[in-house]
Amino acid sequence: MTASVPAIINEFLTGSFSTIINVLKVLIPLMILIEFLSVYHVMEKLSKKLTFVTKVLGFSPSAVLPLLVTVVMGVTYGAGTLMEMNEKEPLEKKDFILIAIFFFICHGIIETTAIWGTVGANVIIISAGRLMLAGAITMAAARLPFFKP
Amino acid sequence: MDPVVQIIKTGFIKAIKTTLMLMKVVLPIYALVVIIKYSPVMPFLERAFEPAMRIFNLPGDAVVPLITGLFTDEYGAIAAASQFDFTAAELTTVAMIGLVCHSLPVEYALSRKIGLPAGKIVIYRILAAVVVGLIISRLGGVLL
Repeated sequence: MTASVPAIINEFLTGSFSTIINVLKVLIPLMILIEFLSVYHVMEKLSKKLTFVTKVLGFSPSAVLPLLVTVVMGVTYGAGTLMEMNEKEPLEKKDFILIAIFFFICHGIIETTAIWGTVGANVIIISAGRLMLAGAITMAAARLPFFKP
Repeated sequence: MDPVVQIIKTGFIKAIKTTLMLMKVVLPIYALVVIIKYSPVMPFLERAFEPAMRIFNLPGDAVVPLITGLFTDEYGAIAAASQFDFTAAELTTVAMIGLVCHSLPVEYALSRKIGLPAGKIVIYRILAAVVVGLIISRLGGVLL
């Protein structure tokens, strides 16, 4: 034991309080932004402009929307979009797997990057790095013989 | 009501609700990590994981936020990471590994729900996290 009990309690109270303040600083602007994005259907409009990305990554254009939602807004929103799409017009199995390969590496990019930024990680490396890594793995996976047409 | 005001209000309420929900996770983890940090378990953990962490250019303590992140979420990992003195390069490495591979139980359930091979995804994420950790820890020393 290197610290007394009151010191430990003090550290717990001050530390957890500042963590929660940091989380609030990120979440309040973020949630307002996400509300704007979903009310004005920004993701739908943006996904139409991003169809060229699908060619590079190797999946069909209809998969852009769920991917974009997951990467920008977070995995819960993305899962919601995917489930909705599955009911209306299911994605092809290949596209589905490729989206998963991308978004399990890289999701909720604004939120997670911002909170890690508050504790002192390098924001550019963790966001750009994850996007590039996810892109590279998806591109490679799409071209593997593992997926038969 | 003005739609913009309405949007800001909804977003604000959602943020408060999410934070309240997160507190249920963050507070117990924070308490647990503070206790572990000052208990005799910590030197043991540090020594046990030092060789593994050295691969990623990390100190032995880094195992605490990484393991916390695996089982809870990124907020848990951040709560744990904020209690140790890591350099910016070390934090970036911890963040990258944690971001690629986190909340495995919850996201396992989620991937089952949307109809994905959940087990394979867990293995894939762990492998990807190791690769990312290796790359970023080498880069971090150069860039930061």
